[in-house]
Amino acid sequence: MSGLSTRVRAASDGGRASATPPGERGAPDDATAPGTPLPPGIDLKRLAERPVVPLRHPVRWVITAVVLVLLLNVVQTLFTNPAWEWSKVGTWLFAPAILKGLQLTLVATAISAVVSFLGGIVVALGRISGNPVLSTLSWLYIWLFRSVPLILVLIFLFNLGNLYPTIGIGVPFGPQLEVPTFTLLSSLALGVIGLSLSEIAYSAEVVRSGILAVDQGQHEAAKALGIPSRRQFTRIVLPQALRSIVPAYVNQIIGLLKASSLLFYVSLLDLFGVVQNLGSTYPTDIIPLLVVATIWYLVLTSAISVVQYYIERFYARGSVRVLPATPWQRVRGGLGGLVRSARSSQSSQSSQSARSSHSSPGGVR
Amino acid sequence: MSAAIEIHNATKSYGGRTVLKGVDLTLAAGTVTVILGPSGSGKSTLLRAINHLEKLDEGYVALGGELIGVTVRGDRLKERRERDILRQRSRIGFVFQNFNLFPHLTVLENVVEAPVAQGVRAADARSRALALLTRVGLADKASAYPRQLSGGQQQRVAIARALALDPDVLLFDEPTSALDPELVGEVLQVIRTLAGSGKTLVVVTHEIGFAREVADHVVFLDEGVLLEQGPPAEVLAAPRHPRTRDFLDKVLA
Repeated sequence: MSGLSTRVRAASDGGRASATPPGERGAPDDATAPGTPLPPGIDLKRLAERPVVPLRHPVRWVITAVVLVLLLNVVQTLFTNPAWEWSKVGTWLFAPAILKGLQLTLVATAISAVVSFLGGIVVALGRISGNPVLSTLSWLYIWLFRSVPLILVLIFLFNLGNLYPTIGIGVPFGPQLEVPTFTLLSSLALGVIGLSLSEIAYSAEVVRSGILAVDQGQHEAAKALGIPSRRQFTRIVLPQALRSIVPAYVNQIIGLLKASSLLFYVSLLDLFGVVQNLGSTYPTDIIPLLVVATIWYLVLTSAISVVQYYIERFYARGSVRVLPATPWQRVRGGLGGLVRSARSSQSSQSSQSARSSHSSPGGVR
Repeated sequence: MSAAIEIHNATKSYGGRTVLKGVDLTLAAGTVTVILGPSGSGKSTLLRAINHLEKLDEGYVALGGELIGVTVRGDRLKERRERDILRQRSRIGFVFQNFNLFPHLTVLENVVEAPVAQGVRAADARSRALALLTRVGLADKASAYPRQLSGGQQQRVAIARALALDPDVLLFDEPTSALDPELVGEVLQVIRTLAGSGKTLVVVTHEIGFAREVADHVVFLDEGVLLEQGPPAEVLAAPRHPRTRDFLDKVLA
């Protein structure tokens, strides 16, 4: 009530001010510049008993409105521009050929993601090991595969048969076991190997940065307790490292998902490859086909992001005092809170004085 | 269980700077020793050498007659394999200045970790851990995470963790230096109850009052040299060496 009356007074002051000279304009309410002494006659003790009015952000509202208008314009064209051909998008989205390409993308990405995570741990451990040969080799590996473009690696691998017609293992200059390169490896296997070889180099650095981020005191405590070396890593260091590894590595996986579209260039028909092929067969459907590919990549990336959220939450345990609520918990909590506050405001209106209901605005608890 | 600690000619340097200059020290089994000294005097290094977190350049540490971290090979001392050192460390509990609890494990999991890693049955390790947590007054925090505890509580958990393997020796590296003043007492109280329990305690600290009250033996280190040692009544009340007197004046001022 009294807050309202202050504002009323301010408005009437302003009205009066239009008649007074500019120098004195609104003096009582504009005494807000830092360094200005409070004008006399204000009962600060009384003001201190009321909630402080939060700062308003009018510019934010203006910018929001402008952005929304621009966005709606773009969205509108999705419906009004017939070239999008949404009906064709609908038919292509679940076309068997597309789904088959999607499957290949998924399989190649999933296998490479797992292989390169494990490989990344091995190379990272090699890189930080005290063994100079191992650490130099790991460094060279990372240097090599971070330098060479993935497409070059893939094409190299697919010409492996020309380079090494047979692959063998054996004692140097002693007995050998040999098989022809192409009976050993299917083209999918070669594709996955190519993706993994390159990906391991990046994930090794991600893993290494995570390990370095673990406090030295943790290593010392584990040593002081006499915990065996392997367990020190798997139980103490790695779980803590994963907290910083996960976000960076998921980034890598999303990159990998998209990089798998390069498999098309070694004649593997992944999602992008299928779309590319269909596009040359049905040139009029190129736009809807590209939309279909975009939708599927969006779906896959979104799914990965959801998984990432929960993995990150899992590894955050212990590092924050209270875990923040999941979006789902927030939605449920929000609904429950609304119901509760509605109930409490009803009861406070009926049973309590106006003053006490004023002191709990909104009931946000 | 208890064991005497014998340190002979402990010598260590980092990049040309000598931090320990041939320290000789014998600590009787079951006693409480407080190591004092200005910062940079080498007292933490000496303490960490006892469980081989710090490798000595020369000299040895023996626990109940067993060399720690090294073994005799011909006419030389030779460093042991990591696996053997880790096993030896289970006889020596260590409490860090910054607690170094494992933040991703609950209080109970922290205490249980070392015994389980050594192959103690999970149920046994668990009941022993709960008994230890009761002893440090934190049984009700068993399922909390370390960051949910105050510094004093964390350090008490760290002490319970160090006790989990029933070590002969407990080493404390400035256990109260990272604590707010009002939390120091609860940690010192727990250490006090361990004195006379038969374990050999070595404490690096600046808490002179604690040293006077609890220590059997006080050692004063300065610039890597053991300047003075003896019962607290001698070293603290009537220090012979001017540097000790100087240090005590500053700390007690």
